[in-house]
Amino acid sequence: MASKPKPLQMALHKVIMVGSGGVGKSALTLQFMYDEFVEDYEPTKADSYRKKVVLDGEEVQIDILDTAGQEDYAAIRDNYFRSGEGFLCVFSITEQESFAATADFREQILRVKNDENIPFLLVGNKCDLFDKRQVTIETATAKAGEWNVPYVETSAKTRQNVDKVFFDLMCEIRDRKKEETAKPDGKKNKKTKKEGKRKKKCVIL
Amino acid sequence: MTAIRHTLQKDVFLPNDERLLGVVHVSKAGKKKKASFLCAAATTEKPVQVSIVNVKKSDKGDTYKRRQTWQLRELKLVDGKDDTKLCQRYLIKKRPDFVNVNPQLLEEAVQVGELTRTMPQGAEDVVDEEYQVLTAQEESDLEKLISQCDFAVSNAEAFTEQLSKDLSMLDGANIHSIMASEEQVKTLMKLLEVSETEINRIEKRLERYEGLLEGVREQMEQMKGKDTLIQMQNTNYKKLLSTLDTLVGQLDLSPGHVKALHEGDLSNPSHILDCTSAAEALQQAMGVQLHPGLCKMQAVREQQKMFEKLRSSFARRLATHLNSVFVQQGHDMGETLSHHTLEPTLPKHYSAHRDLMPYADLMLWLKGADITSFHQLAQVYTSNLKRLYDREIKEFFEAAKSILGSKPSAVDSKKFGKLMGSTESLGKSSGSKLRSSSLLDIADHKGSNPDITDRAKFERVLNSIMSELEPVCMVEQDFIIKFFHLSTDSTATDLGSDEEDQPEEGVVDADGAMFSKGHTERQAEKQVSSEVRRMMSDLFGMLEPELHNFINHADKMDPYNSMYMLVKISAVVMGMEEKDAGSYLATTLATSVVIVKRNFDKLIQAKIQSIEDIKVPKNKRCGILPFVASFEEFAELAETVFKGSERRADLDKAYGRMVRTIFDNVERVGLEHQKTPQDVVLFENFHHLNAVFARLKITCLETEKKEARHKYKQHLNAYVINWLGHPMEKLNHFFEGIEARVAQGVKAEEVGYQLAFSKQELRKVIKEYPMKEVKKGLDSLYKKVEKHLCEEENLNQVVWRSMQEEFISQYKHFEDLIRRCYPESGITLEFTIDDILKFFSDIAQSH
Repeated sequence: MASKPKPLQMALHKVIMVGSGGVGKSALTLQFMYDEFVEDYEPTKADSYRKKVVLDGEEVQIDILDTAGQEDYAAIRDNYFRSGEGFLCVFSITEQESFAATADFREQILRVKNDENIPFLLVGNKCDLFDKRQVTIETATAKAGEWNVPYVETSAKTRQNVDKVFFDLMCEIRDRKKEETAKPDGKKNKKTKKEGKRKKKCVIL
Repeated sequence: MTAIRHTLQKDVFLPNDERLLGVVHVSKAGKKKKASFLCAAATTEKPVQVSIVNVKKSDKGDTYKRRQTWQLRELKLVDGKDDTKLCQRYLIKKRPDFVNVNPQLLEEAVQVGELTRTMPQGAEDVVDEEYQVLTAQEESDLEKLISQCDFAVSNAEAFTEQLSKDLSMLDGANIHSIMASEEQVKTLMKLLEVSETEINRIEKRLERYEGLLEGVREQMEQMKGKDTLIQMQNTNYKKLLSTLDTLVGQLDLSPGHVKALHEGDLSNPSHILDCTSAAEALQQAMGVQLHPGLCKMQAVREQQKMFEKLRSSFARRLATHLNSVFVQQGHDMGETLSHHTLEPTLPKHYSAHRDLMPYADLMLWLKGADITSFHQLAQVYTSNLKRLYDREIKEFFEAAKSILGSKPSAVDSKKFGKLMGSTESLGKSSGSKLRSSSLLDIADHKGSNPDITDRAKFERVLNSIMSELEPVCMVEQDFIIKFFHLSTDSTATDLGSDEEDQPEEGVVDADGAMFSKGHTERQAEKQVSSEVRRMMSDLFGMLEPELHNFINHADKMDPYNSMYMLVKISAVVMGMEEKDAGSYLATTLATSVVIVKRNFDKLIQAKIQSIEDIKVPKNKRCGILPFVASFEEFAELAETVFKGSERRADLDKAYGRMVRTIFDNVERVGLEHQKTPQDVVLFENFHHLNAVFARLKITCLETEKKEARHKYKQHLNAYVINWLGHPMEKLNHFFEGIEARVAQGVKAEEVGYQLAFSKQELRKVIKEYPMKEVKKGLDSLYKKVEKHLCEEENLNQVVWRSMQEEFISQYKHFEDLIRRCYPESGITLEFTIDDILKFFSDIAQSH
């Protein structure tokens, strides 16, 4: 069986989890990957996951790079930001600082990718802890609006919207790739097509 | 006088406990005035003592004195101046003489005395009371007497005379009457004599009567004897009549029945019914328990002979008819065999069974009437239907195999789509929809993967084989039990006893042995008798070899098929456990499970063998080892196949063995691989294994999952440390040397005074690594990492991040060592942390 040709043509979307330490990037990843929620906190350095999923009837692979929230030197992130095709920028709604930090991440990503329209989702995690909320939906939505990206609140614990954020992001990545292959000159249409984004809505299967 | 009496009572007698009875005024003849009283008194206490007391009244006053007292018994003479009733009453024996007393009084006293004497002697108290009671009566008597003789008181003599006159008159009358009674006695005597003679005469007559009666009794007894005889005869006649009646009734067979037995059309259902009832009637008539004596009757013997003839002729007719029916059926159904290509189907024998069922009662009759014909018929049925079943089963499995054999080509894909539609419903009916549909989902997405579609197809074919086999076998088994009236409740213990007239013991034994191998726990349960099993194994003789053949064929096509079969056939056997334990199909499938399990074990063994046999690729990057990928595929499939199966334990055992072998061989390949560093082989493969275990959530491999994760991290770190040494190799060595000195006890600030580690040496080494060199080193390291690692596992970023981190901390460590060992020397590395970070950013941008 092993000798059979691998399904090479399967699309591969590379997703990077970013955000401050302890906001639940790994928890979201593990919930999405294995349907499990790990209570104990163990800071991640970096880990890679791969999963086959069906996106709008098409089987694709998603690569998730779960990264460290705490890095001594931000430049270390340059390399893996560079490798990412889409970003889930996560903060905890119970922690104002983590929300503030998203701006730095966003800035670094845009700089490294040199692409204003890079697929990007602002994710407010831990929405099950609403009684400890520090970041209002309005604030976060306003920020997302400013960046022209979607804002989604999730709970890795209750699995609320977990699939949604990954699938939404993959849809954006896929659509971006289609746009690029449609342009034979291959030049990326940076910093221009803000209004062209997110016209297709995804269907989660 | 009363006053005196009262005074006397009170003053004289009461103090002495006496009662004054009477008082008489007496006086002496001479003297005048002196008053004396003679009193009669009785003691109040018992026994009563009566005394006569002379009481004198004293001269002065009214006091009385006792002068003299005489006891009544001392009285000798009573002068009859007054009545003497006293002594009459109280002195009966010793009566004083009475003078001057009225004789009537005396007589009455005598009467009273006699009266008193009749009282019990010595009971004087009673007497006393009698006296008290009688007083009133006596008084009245006396008064009467006195009133009769008024003169008595005045003239006692006249009265006496009168009395004696009366007496003599009475005497005379008495004598006269005595004289008269003699005559009467004489007449009485005469009468007595007469009656005596009369009595004698009557006695004689009675004797004669008795003699007469004696004779009558004898006659009566004779008559009684005769009567019983008559009655006996009567009942005997009645009994004989009823016996004959029942005999005739029992042995009579209605002409209709005889006709039916002779000419009933056995192919016409209503005639079959007639024949059945006729046969039953015949059976009943023949089965009647007759007295042995009755059997000697000519008529009975003839009738029985007739029955015998009738029975054998009908049995022959029936056997011939059914014989041809069986042959016909075997032939006809063979003709109409349908040739499906899409789904393997087994023709159902419902209609044949329906045609035969009307004969079931006749078969029961035949079993009783003619056991040899019955067995012959069963034999004919078996051999004819066996031929049919053989053919059907063979074609059934051929069809199944041909479906499996046809590889899905471009042309076939349309047909395949249609097939999947039908499988949906099939999956539903066999209760395994969940599994089959989940597989089909995958098949949908991976339409290009022939493995998956083949397996989905195999599962579908297997399901339909099982769902086809079950009804056919169970229906046939039910049919032969009902039709041939085989016992169903015999247990394993009487396996042998049933087999006297069954020549093929060997078959049954072999069958039973295999059966017990698979399912020993069934022994105690209700079992289908060996009789049924023998017949079924005759009929379906082809099933077992064909099934085994198919199992091995499927295994050869794709060893993974054995997993489906292990799960599916086990589930079918388990499912039948309750209702059809020990049915022929159950036992046959149970033996198949043994074979399938053996194939499954072979599959696992082959997998393990192939892991152990894997050759290390020479000139290629190692990446994920084929057996790791293959295990993932196997586990993924196995998890869906074994979901909820009772066979889970078998899979877990297989997992354990396989994973152990995989771990060992990952390490072996790591060591042997030429191109890829050992650590890379290890961390990539263990990372992959960890992900597989986590994704499939194989609970029995929890420890292995942790072990894989641990090994992944351990070897990742080892790789990073090991390969970071390369970009600034000399610098590295230099500082390692310093560290070694410090470790040996050299003071940090004195290391610089050693020749090998002087400031000049340090400067020389540092000079060798200007910014450009470092950047080049990092660039080539990055390329090395990219070359070592496979794209598939996507660990480049993880490794590179780790290397960046490690490189910075190394840089800091060097700076720290310079500061400590060469203080105030002002020596620094040729590049700063910012330079490093810029290199990193540049590397990031460069690809």
